[in-house]
Amino acid sequence: MDTYLGVDVGSISTNLAVIDEKKKVLAWEYLLTGGRPIEAVQRGLREMEKKLAKELKIKGVGSTGSARHLTGILVGADTVKSEIIAHAVGASQLIPEVKTVFEIGGQDSKIIIVRDGVVVDFAMNTICAAGTGSFLDHQAQRLGVLIEEFGDLALKAEAPTRIAGRCTVFAESDMIHKQQTGHTTENIVAGLCQALVRNYLNNVGKGKEILPPIVFQGGVAANKGMKAAFEEELGYEVIVPEYYHVMGAIGAAILAQETIVQTKKTRFKGFEVSEVDYKTRSFECTGCPNLCEVIEVLMDREVISRWGDRCGKWEVLEK
Amino acid sequence: MAIKVGIPRALLYYRLYPLWKTFFNSLGIEVVVSGKTTKKLLKEGLKYAPDETCLSIKVAFGHVQDLMDKVDYLFLPRLVSLERGTYICPKFIGFPDMIRSAFDNLPPLIDTSFNLRKRPSNLFFPMYRIGRVFKKSFLTIHEAYKRALEEESKFLSSLRKGILLPEILYSWEQKRALRPSNPKGNLCIALVGHPYNLYDSFINLDIIKKLKDLGARVITPEMVEPLEIKKETDKIPQEVYWSLGREIVGASFYLLKSKSIDGLIHLGSFGCGPDSFLRELIADRARKHPEIAYLSLILDEHTGEAGVVTRLEAFIDLIERRKMAGRKSQVAGRHLQSDKRQAISH
Repeated sequence: MDTYLGVDVGSISTNLAVIDEKKKVLAWEYLLTGGRPIEAVQRGLREMEKKLAKELKIKGVGSTGSARHLTGILVGADTVKSEIIAHAVGASQLIPEVKTVFEIGGQDSKIIIVRDGVVVDFAMNTICAAGTGSFLDHQAQRLGVLIEEFGDLALKAEAPTRIAGRCTVFAESDMIHKQQTGHTTENIVAGLCQALVRNYLNNVGKGKEILPPIVFQGGVAANKGMKAAFEEELGYEVIVPEYYHVMGAIGAAILAQETIVQTKKTRFKGFEVSEVDYKTRSFECTGCPNLCEVIEVLMDREVISRWGDRCGKWEVLEK
Repeated sequence: MAIKVGIPRALLYYRLYPLWKTFFNSLGIEVVVSGKTTKKLLKEGLKYAPDETCLSIKVAFGHVQDLMDKVDYLFLPRLVSLERGTYICPKFIGFPDMIRSAFDNLPPLIDTSFNLRKRPSNLFFPMYRIGRVFKKSFLTIHEAYKRALEEESKFLSSLRKGILLPEILYSWEQKRALRPSNPKGNLCIALVGHPYNLYDSFINLDIIKKLKDLGARVITPEMVEPLEIKKETDKIPQEVYWSLGREIVGASFYLLKSKSIDGLIHLGSFGCGPDSFLRELIADRARKHPEIAYLSLILDEHTGEAGVVTRLEAFIDLIERRKMAGRKSQVAGRHLQSDKRQAISH
């Protein structure tokens, strides 16, 4: 059977998904990137290989996420696309009539507006991580609540506490003040979800035409309190798809399938790449006052790719 | 040895350089321009510039620092107004003073005021005052002024032909034939913003090249006829009184209306007051043209390219996938419709 592999390497998690010709998800893998994208991809490939039946053949590979270019070189991707397109394509596959996609990850969040299956508008959070998962993570730690229990706890709230969520630093001082004045943990947790939703809709979602069906995906979608807070604020049902945490990978796999229709032959290097010794190293080029930070990818101690230079003199590899 | 006047490669260098250079050269004065913006130059700028100014002013500080030991005079005109009824940003007006207070051992500054708000034909007076700094005669100055105007009008007319500004400046300075590199493909992106953000390829992470590499033809505000710009800005109930802001808004409105573009990108710089208004004005108008994709980027001191690259790639993908879907739906005889009835605005 012919299948397609999608690899989404984000700042927090690395996700892989394998789909068949009919775009049905056959297997997926979710692991933490831990700041080492190459190792994460290799680990992911090893796990994926174990899960797949031997007769399956990978006919195409797509990469996405903030480490998409690095991953593309590593695995031999047929298509390298930004996470906006990958997430939109993934969501459209599972819910074809989708009009709005909320994606909240560890360090960034985005809103994607889809009409008739085509992305028409998008926005991403600015440099500040206030409207992302790390905001909740940080506050959960402060409250001594496990992030996994956060959502269920939020649903138990009777009167969510109002917390200023514009800025993580201020939210924290506001939250401590509310704790000191006797608000229950449940109410504070629910209040944090509402603060994040308000922040998201006012920043990332500002001026966007938010229409149902709304799909909510990314790591934060696991949090039931967030889904509830979105639904309360918008007055629409918010759908959390089955594969909410690997939607980018599913999208990348679908994009790979689209590409293969045209290119016919895959560049996939095979699952063996999980055993190859890949390394990266960087150096500061002192050729001009720009002092570019050049990154090199090495395969078995041989440089296979370089980037980061503005002038392009390092990009060309001498053979 | 000829006297050397230094012009920072910043701010309105990207509009008035042919005028200034021709004028000084015609007076027998050599013009020295600071180097291209680099990481080191920006770092120097950040060290000297007041914290609350915008990124563009900070960059200009770096260029002044780069020039100050190499020239006899620094040319930092006090630009108040360059056309009837509008102003240049107040930070430009105070720029020579900011420079004086930040640096020691500066060469003499030529900070002649340009205020043409009431009478644009008054341009000769400040030029005359500049000429008198070098004790030139009225006739010599007048001759230089005339030649400067001629060069400027040639420069502006090349811009209107859709040739990108850095290419015009290069061919003009090097006396080489113009080789327009704007792709002729059917993808057309308008890139709007202040010229010192659009054309400083270090500050904007080489966005024009990135767009061209993605196959897009790039249109900038200078390529739009001033008359069309005026027609558009006259319709805005509240006057846009920044010269460049007026041009940016007018050109954006015209390009959106003309439907000749597939996408519009507003490029603003961090800390720019006018940009924060312009961005909203343009975004609001772009929403009325859902067939044209809109993206807003804000440039900052950080040099990480990932954020900009992701947004650009997604933006171009969005346009191409939309075109693809458009072709498919035309075949099927359907039209893209967006459901506006239940729109919520935040």
